[in-house]
Amino acid sequence: MQENGKKCLELAERIYDLDIEVYECVGSSLGRTFTQDRRTCVENLAGLMSTRPQGHLLRSELAMISNMARTIRNPQEKSRIMKKYDDILKEVESLPTSFGQVEIVDQKRAKLNTANLRQKFSKDDHLIICIGRTQGSAGNDIGFALADALRINYYDVEIFAEVLRRLEAEKDSVKDISDYGTGIIQNKYQRGFNTAKSLKDRIREFDRYHGLTREDAIFFNQSDLLCKMAKEEDFIVMGRCADVILANNRIPHISIFITAPFEQRVHRIMEVNNIDYKKAWKLLKRQDRMHAKYYHHFTGLKWGDAMNYDICFNSASYGIEESVDIIERMLNQHVDHPKQAKDKMNE
Amino acid sequence: MEEITSVIIWLCIPFAGLLLSIAVMPLVIPKLWEKYQPLIVAAWSILFIVPFAVKYGIPLAAETVLECVVNDYLTFIVLLFGLFCVAGNITLEGEFAGSPRINTGLLAIGTLLSSVIGTTGASMLLVRPFIKMNSWRRRKRHIMIFFIFLISNMGGCLTPIGDPPLLMGFMRGIPFFWSMHLFKILVFNMVILLFVFYHLDMRAYRKDIARGLKPDISRPGTNFHIDGLHNLIFVAMIVGAVILSGVLPGMEAFQNADGTVKGIHILGEVTLGYPSLIEIFIILLAAFLSFRTTNANIRVRNHFTWGAIQEVAVLFIGIFITMQPALMLLKAKGADLGITEPYQMFWTTGALSSFLDNTPTYLVFLTTAGALGYKSGMSTVVGTVPVHLLTAISCGAVFMGANTYIGNAPNFMVKSISDENGIRMPSFFGYILWSMVCLVPVFVLDTLIFFR
Repeated sequence: MQENGKKCLELAERIYDLDIEVYECVGSSLGRTFTQDRRTCVENLAGLMSTRPQGHLLRSELAMISNMARTIRNPQEKSRIMKKYDDILKEVESLPTSFGQVEIVDQKRAKLNTANLRQKFSKDDHLIICIGRTQGSAGNDIGFALADALRINYYDVEIFAEVLRRLEAEKDSVKDISDYGTGIIQNKYQRGFNTAKSLKDRIREFDRYHGLTREDAIFFNQSDLLCKMAKEEDFIVMGRCADVILANNRIPHISIFITAPFEQRVHRIMEVNNIDYKKAWKLLKRQDRMHAKYYHHFTGLKWGDAMNYDICFNSASYGIEESVDIIERMLNQHVDHPKQAKDKMNE
Repeated sequence: MEEITSVIIWLCIPFAGLLLSIAVMPLVIPKLWEKYQPLIVAAWSILFIVPFAVKYGIPLAAETVLECVVNDYLTFIVLLFGLFCVAGNITLEGEFAGSPRINTGLLAIGTLLSSVIGTTGASMLLVRPFIKMNSWRRRKRHIMIFFIFLISNMGGCLTPIGDPPLLMGFMRGIPFFWSMHLFKILVFNMVILLFVFYHLDMRAYRKDIARGLKPDISRPGTNFHIDGLHNLIFVAMIVGAVILSGVLPGMEAFQNADGTVKGIHILGEVTLGYPSLIEIFIILLAAFLSFRTTNANIRVRNHFTWGAIQEVAVLFIGIFITMQPALMLLKAKGADLGITEPYQMFWTTGALSSFLDNTPTYLVFLTTAGALGYKSGMSTVVGTVPVHLLTAISCGAVFMGANTYIGNAPNFMVKSISDENGIRMPSFFGYILWSMVCLVPVFVLDTLIFFR
């Protein structure tokens, strides 16, 4: 079983390399067959092989590479590549069709979830905690206090500011639409979006965001930035679909969702922002709706659905301090993280 | 050439067989199909020519084949070749990221451009930029399918340059700008199809994002520029050649005393007209100049290969030859079909244009409409044709070419180029399913609103 798995991975690596080689030989700038990163593509291919090696999908992936390979101009190069392709094809065809054991566990997810915390972080990995939260559940306070307790960086709007810097966009013209949890009382996210713009401004904006909408361009940049940061430091990140972004990029992390009963949240908002019940109720309803829409738009998942997170938390049951304490205890209990271990020893 | 008034229907079998081969063989025996495509096409062609020669005699068979090869296929493939070469020398550079918004916008612009430089010209010019912009995405076949629907077909309805049937209409006395009357129908169809496309594309785009795919937009700005821009002059040359091929046959200098077009006599009544020769010469000259004046590196970046044009050239010579009995049947029986209403004209012209060459189909029904004896309407050399019938025939011929890969010349080119560049295009029947689901409901609405 394990040998077959290894064989599939090795074949997948070779298919991925062949695609790169073909694309380089062709010299095209119109795009390769495999558009995702190496690890994702290899894992997907290996998955296809181990489950349905004779399946239509795998065959069609290989056919697309061969379509391109047949257009290589240099006959020697073409013959060399086609030989490689044929070899791979033969090996794929010789794979047994029944070794894919039907397993309930989602391997990709299992590698990234809390039940596997010990295996989750290698020596090279950083401790990254993604916190999703509903407005009024004190998620931000919990996140901030947890970062303080773990002595790691806390990121929220800072990421957005960095993205703007990268996009060279003016702060006044763009609002952080993923920032629903930082004391928005007015229609902050709507201001600025509805202002009339001249044609020149629109063209400039079109060019700046590569033809994408601002929201999408900012999301893609946030994704890049999060992946880059994940290679450099430990941190806690609030919202921004960070859990899904990191999962898609095979970056180990812990995803936490914090919420509280609606009435409880309404009262907290009333107290913190000094507004009446009706206003707080309306605000929360709208923000929950927009938050869910934002999350679904970029991840295809349901925001707040327990299935999508490692830990779900009712902050009303514990309060801020106790919540931080519980999460910290869970982490300290399970994570044999190099940085944590080092810190403990210093203490 | 002797007019054939009745054709045995089984002579259409090779045409059906060839279509079936195009549909099934790439799926069932892809390697053999790729290797022996020319032989398979030749075999089906011979299966038509030999029985036809036995039934009607060798001279008539030779004339029939030469007529379609010289006067239909040659100009068809040369035009395709010219635009394929010139468009392959233009590359759009820049970091545009394909998204529903930009794809929908470009489809709309491309659709309108089709009437200015022809459906083939617009398709060849825009197919690579579309592929490049969307190269970061995984789910993108629907983009190329709607590209075929709109840019390769529907967009060509506004001028005679847009699509060959309208050029034939122009040559038979329909004013050049008359087709602008179809603008409202085109806009109606565009709005529906672009709305559907936007939502389909948004769904696919969101699925791609959710899977972690993202374009490389780390640097601010797109740095957009076009390399090989001077080739637009050659595109204009080709468009000019197409217009000339429509205008010159009507001029006295190019006509014999009996009104037939002057040209090089080949066999029997088969003559390659001088206007066609001029068109071919200008197109080939444009292609040659384009290659001479453009850096080869642009073609490499464009992944320019001869594969797509080769495939189309091979398949379509077989299609042109084997569809002759079907066209003869249509010419012989078209007037007897009892088609008099706009909706009948729209659907019959359209259904036949989906599989046969839309130019002769258009002419058959234009002639049929001209012979109905109407006193008011558009005056043409084939008689007076009521505007509502002419509208239905024009729309049927142009729009429904999108129903199949073989309905219009650029359809298969777009498919082939997409196949070569990592886009998994649907099979022959798969594509028909797309058109049944997306196009046919639009045509039904067209019927209810415009052709009742």
